[in-house]
Amino acid sequence: MNKVLLMGQANVGKSVLFNHLAGAAATVSNYPGTTVDFDKGHMMIEGERVEVVDVPGAFSLDPKDRAEEVAVRMLEEEKGATVVCVIDSSKVERGLYLALELIEKGYPVMIDLNMADVAKDVNIKVDTKRLEDILGVPVVTTVATRGEGLKELVSRMKEAKPVETGKIIEKVEAS
Amino acid sequence: MERALTVDQRWDLVDRIAKETVEVGAYKPTLKDALAGITVNPWTGIPFAIAVLYGFWTFFGEFAGLFTDGFFVRIFGTHWIPFLGEKLAGLPDWAFTILVGDKAVFAEGFVGDPCFAAGGVLTTGLFMPFGIVLWAVLALFFVLAILEDTGYLPRLAVLIDTVMHKIGLHGFAIVPTLISLGCNVPGVTAARTLETRKQRFIMIALLGVFVPCGAQIGMMEELVPGMIGWVFLTLAIGYFVFGWVLNKIWPGESPEILMDVPPYRAPQWSNILRKTWMRTRHFLFVAVPFVLLGCAIVMVLYATGAMDAIASGLEGLLASVFGVPASATPSLMVGFLRKDLAIGLLPIGAMTNYQVFKSVILLSIYFPCLATFALLLRELNWKEILATLGFLVAMVFVFGGVLNLIGMAGGW
Repeated sequence: MNKVLLMGQANVGKSVLFNHLAGAAATVSNYPGTTVDFDKGHMMIEGERVEVVDVPGAFSLDPKDRAEEVAVRMLEEEKGATVVCVIDSSKVERGLYLALELIEKGYPVMIDLNMADVAKDVNIKVDTKRLEDILGVPVVTTVATRGEGLKELVSRMKEAKPVETGKIIEKVEAS
Repeated sequence: MERALTVDQRWDLVDRIAKETVEVGAYKPTLKDALAGITVNPWTGIPFAIAVLYGFWTFFGEFAGLFTDGFFVRIFGTHWIPFLGEKLAGLPDWAFTILVGDKAVFAEGFVGDPCFAAGGVLTTGLFMPFGIVLWAVLALFFVLAILEDTGYLPRLAVLIDTVMHKIGLHGFAIVPTLISLGCNVPGVTAARTLETRKQRFIMIALLGVFVPCGAQIGMMEELVPGMIGWVFLTLAIGYFVFGWVLNKIWPGESPEILMDVPPYRAPQWSNILRKTWMRTRHFLFVAVPFVLLGCAIVMVLYATGAMDAIASGLEGLLASVFGVPASATPSLMVGFLRKDLAIGLLPIGAMTNYQVFKSVILLSIYFPCLATFALLLRELNWKEILATLGFLVAMVFVFGGVLNLIGMAGGW
């Protein structure tokens, strides 16, 4: 693993996460579409230097505006990268759509259920173990603004792996 | 080979996964939700928006005024500039003119503000960015950061959505517009979130022409505080009228959108301060060198006599079309580099109020500053760039001409 892309919908906290991981200063705001270009930084994982990319928010891999175009191009150029799909824990369904697209494309994916504090506020619970079991990729919970859960996120990045969509469908149908 | 799903199949799968893993509990609306409702309902939201913007504007004016009038006018006017005038008096004339400025400022019986009248790189050139503009942009960036981080901007977007559709945009266009009030450069970049080429073109053209930046607003607040409301009103009229025209004539789509409104959040002060600092730093490193360069160019043109030649060459045009005296030439020339410097160089004492007003409007619309223009080249294609330039020229003559006619009719 030498490159990690932070992807996800707009306003789920990718830039906050990026600033923590790469010790960077990407602009962070509370509205969708703050990041319109990618930012790059580096972090160390077990003595290995890994590049981290803060990708503009994208609803899906079918770009609707120029910021999303940047995101999709970024992804296509980085075939070997590990993708951390950042999801707003209070809006899991939307984030899962992009996560499935990323998995279908064959990227090693891991899921970060971010903004866990917001989900708790609105009384939404996500069974991360079950989600991990169905998707077959690592799923962690974070509150990026407070730096919670980042250690687990980083330590499990290496477990991210490509998964066959068929396996996921089998899992869902089996239950 | 992985199996590709259709959009419907994928959503279906998402639903089934979510059913397995997500549990939505009972939810009691909170104070935040009440506030969220109040701020997007037009009846309560519009007064709320006016109050918020007025509050921020007042803060901006008070903060910038405190530093500029309270400290820097004195520091520069009574200490730094006389000190330089004395210490560097031995320099050759040309060097003195470029570094310190007009010798008349140091003569007995000089009446005026040496901070502006001197004009040299080390006097006015330093006073404008560090004495005035720095404090204005600092306050504006701070205020914008709060608007951004609380989640209020998307609410403003909802409120203004209907109006923005009339000019081919939608509510979210308020975001690039407000960011441009801090600095046009990130504002133009933020236009990337708009969906179609047409929308981006209209947005960028309107930002470049009608939205003054923080540095420029800071200078206006200092030099022409009495007419700043009229300036904003005139530019806002231009923004909407010509946005409407561009929407009619430029081909392309302006689709409806579904906007995602995030919940309100308490801003994190560390983030607010970091953003304010990063943007201010950008101003210091990117803008200040251009201000100094602009001062140097103007003073070289003065020292060589070229300025007089250019001014007399432009006198006819300026007087007949815009009704502005030739002494505004230096200001209009450096407007290409920096708008704040250009406003600082306006010969305010030598013009009528209405001429000052016209000049300020002309400076706002006639060309984006160099940094913004460089960005236009990157964000737009050739056809759009040429159209933007054509639009600019048309605006200068239409706006300048109309304002001049209104002035003549009013006898100002």
